[in-house]
Amino acid sequence: MSWRHAAIAEVRPETAHAKTLVLDVDGWPGHRAGQHVDIRLTAEDGYQAQRSYSIASAPESPRLELTVERIEDGEVSTYLVDEARAGDEFELRGPIGGYFVWHAGLDGPLVLVAGGSGLVPLVAMLRHRRAARDMTDARLLLSARTADDVLYRDELAALGAGDVAVRLTLTRAAAPPPEFPEAWTRRIDRAMLEELGPAPGTGARIYVCGPTPFVEEAARLLVELGHDARSVRTERFGPTGG
Amino acid sequence: MHTDGNAIAGVLEEVFARDVTATDRVCQSCRARRAIGAHRLFRGAGMVLRCPACGDIAAAIVAVEQGYAVSIRGTWLFK
Repeated sequence: MSWRHAAIAEVRPETAHAKTLVLDVDGWPGHRAGQHVDIRLTAEDGYQAQRSYSIASAPESPRLELTVERIEDGEVSTYLVDEARAGDEFELRGPIGGYFVWHAGLDGPLVLVAGGSGLVPLVAMLRHRRAARDMTDARLLLSARTADDVLYRDELAALGAGDVAVRLTLTRAAAPPPEFPEAWTRRIDRAMLEELGPAPGTGARIYVCGPTPFVEEAARLLVELGHDARSVRTERFGPTGG
Repeated sequence: MHTDGNAIAGVLEEVFARDVTATDRVCQSCRARRAIGAHRLFRGAGMVLRCPACGDIAAAIVAVEQGYAVSIRGTWLFK
């Protein structure tokens, strides 16, 4: 797996803290939904910083897209979110990971549980499902601080109006936003996951991604509900310098 | 705060020349069989992967000049 040359073709704001970078990558071999890439930035003095970012785009997308959330005082994310412009270049390697992946045609309902920007690899799965015209029962529960922190808000509302069950919970909001009138306003709990469904024993493939405390809690609740621990795939992100 | 094996999938691929996050490992201590991606990752001077069931060490990886020093334990089931 070698480092490739990547150039930013477009920068798309998503929220006040997150942007999507649309990339042209030399010799990109394609990817599977759920995979990530490593990015390496090199300063003029040779100092290098490396971080991992999830791929947001479907494998069918003509260009690779990464959504990056700014971590305060983060070394790499602050550059990518605040400074990076079309035409900027850096090194990238990937696609990486074979555990936290999903593709059209797999059996069993698809259940996605996201905390904050943990939504990124999961939206890649939903975009892939749509591009492949896959009819798998798909459900998403997203936990975010406020409605303004919700990534891909319009797209999620459109998916929810279609054949994906999209549920939202806002941990620091008083009321649901207009396009998600059924949103909860509390931290993730067992009742929420029970309502999201499907019931244990239906062969669901469950993907949970977010900050470590969120993932631990969601995975614990899912197993407590009766889901097979091995059907719950997790991907945690934590403070690695941003 | 730990993360998990997915967070060092790139480093693991450098070491093993293939993805191993989907590879199951049987723990030498508790016999639990779990994918490497499901293992807990602790970062310090190096990277330590631990069994998600019992916490015993699955791998210790330290970056050294031009590569990595790697110690692995348990049975890794490559397919």
